[in-house]
Amino acid sequence: MTGQEPIKRILLYVDGSEACITAAQYGIALSKSMNAELIALYVVNISLLQELTKARIFVKIEEMDYEQDLEQDGKRYLRYISEMAKSKGLEITTELAKGVVNKVVSEKADNYKADLLVMGELDPVLSRSDSYHDEGELIFRKVKCSVLVVKNPDLVEQVFSNLDS
Amino acid sequence: MRISELLNESLITLSLQHRDKTGIIEELLDLAVQSGKIGHRSEALKAILDREALMSTGLEKGIAIPHAKSSAANEICMALGICREGVEFDSADGKPSQLIFFLLAPESAAVQNIKVLGQIARLTSDTSIVDALKAAGSSQEAFDIIRKAEGEIGF
Repeated sequence: MTGQEPIKRILLYVDGSEACITAAQYGIALSKSMNAELIALYVVNISLLQELTKARIFVKIEEMDYEQDLEQDGKRYLRYISEMAKSKGLEITTELAKGVVNKVVSEKADNYKADLLVMGELDPVLSRSDSYHDEGELIFRKVKCSVLVVKNPDLVEQVFSNLDS
Repeated sequence: MRISELLNESLITLSLQHRDKTGIIEELLDLAVQSGKIGHRSEALKAILDREALMSTGLEKGIAIPHAKSSAANEICMALGICREGVEFDSADGKPSQLIFFLLAPESAAVQNIKVLGQIARLTSDTSIVDALKAAGSSQEAFDIIRKAEGEIGF
């Protein structure tokens, strides 16, 4: 595809789940086929850590320790996805941010002028409370650009494997 | 990952034998060990007690959440102790603890670990659920209350 591609920039939401790896595979495939820039974003969930400290479940030192863990986790995932993209001949941008996850993802989608947000399959929502607290659900509702929720990992794996490197 | 995915009737006890914090933690740890999710009991116990030493996880309103991360855990594991009359857990409000949520997670499971702690916090912020759990007559009943609260069997 050449010329006036409708999707020039894709933001990939990385949350450290298996589903986000499937989303990454699909995002890489889309990026290559549409010649679109791919940006992988991981957000350290600072707000949840702070809530746990506020509720006295965490002590401050524990909050800081977990923040480091999450940061390392995020870096590891972003590195892995970057390598996945490289293996298919694609250079991507990665960013690790911190804050209220759904808010940061929404802001970044605006800042990057993303045409599409790609994310992994949402967790099942079984209660009203779930939809208030599930970051995936909140992101899905909050971002202004179109959202692609990637399903069917087996098929996506095939699509990814068949990509030229 | 939901609380009801981590718990089952065999991981909930209404017959705690001990009345002291360490004894209760050991009892709940033993339940978790029996589930096969913990490789090294002594290492797991040390992780939980080291965390308790920082500040007691005995909160208010009869809730305690002893937790830690440790390489002794093969996967996230949980146990729940319910004691209607309450046990001494060095709680924030000085009152006895009646619901003791035990949680141990592998070092590598930070994301899931904090999500589960957040879910416990949300669950225990609902007074009606807390009261129902405190009044549960059996492990099965307590488990059903949690499942219901998490929406698995409807409201």
